[in-house]
Parts: sequence; structure tokens; C-alpha cells
Amino acid sequence: MPTPDNVVYVPKPSPASFDKNRPLARNLLLQAHVQHIHEAESHLPPERQSGIDPGSIRTEGEAADYIRRVTYALHPEGARRERVRRAT
Amino acid sequence: MSAGLDNLRHVVVLMMENRSFDHMLGCLTADDSRIVGLSGNESNLDTQNEPVKVQPLAQFQGQLDPDPDHHFPSVHQQLFNGQYAPGAVPTMDGFVLNYYQQQKDVNHSHKIMYYFTKDKLPVLSTLARSFAVFNGWFASIPGPTICNRAFAHYGTSFGQVSMDVFYYSKEYLSIYERMVKNGHTAKLYYFDQSSSTMEVVNLLQDQPQLFGTYPQFLDDCKQGTLPEYSFIEPNYSDHEGDDGGEQLASDQHPDHDVQAGEYFIASIYNAIHQNPDLWKSTALLIVYDEHGGIHDHVPPPACTPDGFVANPQATGVPGLSFAFDRLGVRVPAILVSPWIPKATVVTGPEDKVNGRTFEHASIPGTVTSHFLGNYDARSPREKAAPAFLDLLSDQMRPETDVPVFNLG
Repeated sequence: MPTPDNVVYVPKPSPASFDKNRPLARNLLLQAHVQHIHEAESHLPPERQSGIDPGSIRTEGEAADYIRRVTYALHPEGARRERVRRAT
Repeated sequence: MSAGLDNLRHVVVLMMENRSFDHMLGCLTADDSRIVGLSGNESNLDTQNEPVKVQPLAQFQGQLDPDPDHHFPSVHQQLFNGQYAPGAVPTMDGFVLNYYQQQKDVNHSHKIMYYFTKDKLPVLSTLARSFAVFNGWFASIPGPTICNRAFAHYGTSFGQVSMDVFYYSKEYLSIYERMVKNGHTAKLYYFDQSSSTMEVVNLLQDQPQLFGTYPQFLDDCKQGTLPEYSFIEPNYSDHEGDDGGEQLASDQHPDHDVQAGEYFIASIYNAIHQNPDLWKSTALLIVYDEHGGIHDHVPPPACTPDGFVANPQATGVPGLSFAFDRLGVRVPAILVSPWIPKATVVTGPEDKVNGRTFEHASIPGTVTSHFLGNYDARSPREKAAPAFLDLLSDQMRPETDVPVFNLG
């Protein structure tokens, strides 16, 4: 049971910290992630590939969009279960 | 077997990104001298040959931009600062000089020595003080994310020390495959499809059935359908969700908002804690994949060689091969369970008698030993890595004695 002594308030992060236009070049991990996603995409049938040139991706938001498209092709179940969850 | 271990049905691992132990938890030494954090006198020299002390000035965002380099050659400099010799103990004095190279700005290079005060990290510091904090949990490799995360999944990186794409050898199956093949349940939960998983090449593209998403994790906790073993990945990017809302990166990778990661960690804890049956039968490990180029003062120790050798071309350091015989930089690691005595400190290399050195191979090692028992097809590193579930005791702590996070 919560008591005043054991409840810890966790503030919400500031919305101002959101920046989908942050340059991809500033994040070594996301740069590599795009490469890995591209490798996985190259094994998909052409009709399921995104048509996006990973070399054209400049921002975190663009990287996320590319990653979403390929992940959907690899794991559509993830998106379907998410829609079901929202609907219920 | 302790009552806590007897009750254990689920192990959950949350792996965050790129923060060192001293940076996140170093301040806690002031509260508890058993925690091997910072005295305030630790320092590195800068390019002006001036000592730069650690300072409690870390902010949630805006200081570690650009992302501090933490590929193998940079970590080599951070650890040895040109003083490397085979078998030498790392000097831990090259962090400032290494970060200077990215901006050529002396003042900016000092920020690599900044650490958080506990009031800024209420979730991590509360969990560390309430459950078990490890003084000696190290990244598996003095290098970047992908190869370090591989140790958490496979108990080895199959000879990789970089971020490059690689395909794993079937000699050592992932912990998920081991579990499923032996009639157990396991799942990797990624945040959403725009964040995805770092295991896209080796697991997602061939075995999507092993994966779920963060909302599904929350549902599984609520419904009591959590697998025996779960691995959770945070959100790796700022992006718009399917509903158009802003999804803030929660991985704490520089320069993402550290507070968003705090919020995410609390949400994972709450999801488990709010289901009483799950709470008493689950151990949650919160750990960071590597230090992200940020200062820590404890020299990484030598370790059991992994049976692989990365040649100088792979390490990127002229003339230096790496036999996977030394660990990476120390990272925060906290084990949460109501069966852990309050304020447990797990001693590390500082305790020459009883101290234990953990690394990410301890994760598949512990899970395999607990759920599968004897299992020989494991890497030498995983076989040598200590397990951590012995920290569960016979006494379950009452609700009044464990934290509750009120998410604002």
C-alpha cells in the first residue's frame, strides 16, 4: 500500500525536448540502425521494399519513418496487435 | 533454494543506452559509502594539461552533443590514454582528451566528466537504494552498442567489436531460441515499429514470432501473460506515433532526454508492480549497454577470453588485436524484486574476497541456468559469467517498504 514515505513523483519530460529534425549524423546508434534495417530490407521481395534510399535520410524523424516501414514488412503482427489494443 | 527463487517465474531485462555508472549513480556514494561511486576528486587532464574534476552538473539534454565517440579506438584512448601495454590496468584518464577531438572546444570537453545528482534521477536512484545495485557490472566489450547488446542476447558477439552488420554463428543460440526450443517462453519487446529492435538482422527478419511491442508488454503484465523471459528495448528516436502524437526517445542515448528514460523505467516497474501475482514472481534487471564515451573511474578488469580474436583492422587501433579478454567500462545495473533485502549493494572488484564481476553475458547465463539448468552450448564468457538470482532472499518485503512511482 502506498504511503507518503514510499511514493516517488516522476515528472513528465518536457515536450520541448522533442526534436524529430535532430540530424542523424549526431547519433551513432541510429546511423547504424538504419544500416541494419537496410540489410534486412535487402532480403525482402522487391514489392515489399520501401523504395527509400537510406543514404538520403538526414534526420531522426526520417530514420524513424524508414525503420517503421521496414519493420512493418518484417513484423506486421506488431502493428496489428497495437491497433487491436487501441481499439479495446 | 531461497523462497524468493522458489517463487520466481519471470525474469525481465530492460537495457538502456550509453551512460556510465559514475555518470548516473556516482553521487550515491555520499549516501552509502558501500557504493563505489565518486568522491568528487576524480579527474582527467584536458588539452591544456589542466585537471578536470568530476562535477555534479549533468543535465537531461544539451550537453553531450555530439554523441561522444565510443567505438573501439576511442574507448581505447579513454581507458589507456596512450599508456597501453598488454596486461596493463586501464588508467581511465583519457575521457576529456578523447571528447575534445570531436569539437576542439576545451570547455565542451569537460562535460564528459559531469554526473547527475540524485534529485535529477528519482527513479534510478530510488531503485538503486531500495533494491540491489551492482558495484561491478561492466559492458562486455570496450566498444559500442551492437556488439555489447549481442552479449546480452547470445553470451558473445561472435568476434565483433563494432556496429557493423554481422550474422551470428548457430554454434551459440540466442537465449530466446534456447528457451523456446526447450518448451519455455521468451520475448523481445521493442517500443514501436518506428523504433524497432537492434536485433533486426539476426532475429527479427527470420523469427518475428519472438517479438512484441512495449504496449503489448504492458498488456501482458496486466493480463498475467508475461513470458518467462522478457527483454525490453526503449524508444531509440524522437518520432511521431501512428496517432500523430509525439513519441519522445526514452533510451537516454546522448543527446536524448534522460528524464524521458526515467519515466520509461518507472512505467516498466509500475507495470510489474501493479499486478500482485507478477510482482512477487518477477525479477527485473535494469542495465545499460555501455558507457557511451562518458567518464567512469573504475578500471575494467580482465576476463575469460571469448574464443574469438578481433584483428587490428577490426579494432581500428594500429597493431592491436583484441582477444575479448578485458571488459568494457562500468555501467549502472540494478536488480529489482520484493525478495531483495532493502539497500543491497553487490560488491565488485573493490572487494577482493567476495566481490563479483558481472557483464552482459551474465544475462543469458543467469536465465539459462534458472530455466534450463545444464546447457553446454554456451560461449566461454557466458560460462564464466556469474549469475545474479542468488540475491533473492527468503523474505518478501511488504508493500509499505517498496517504492511506488507516481507518473506525472
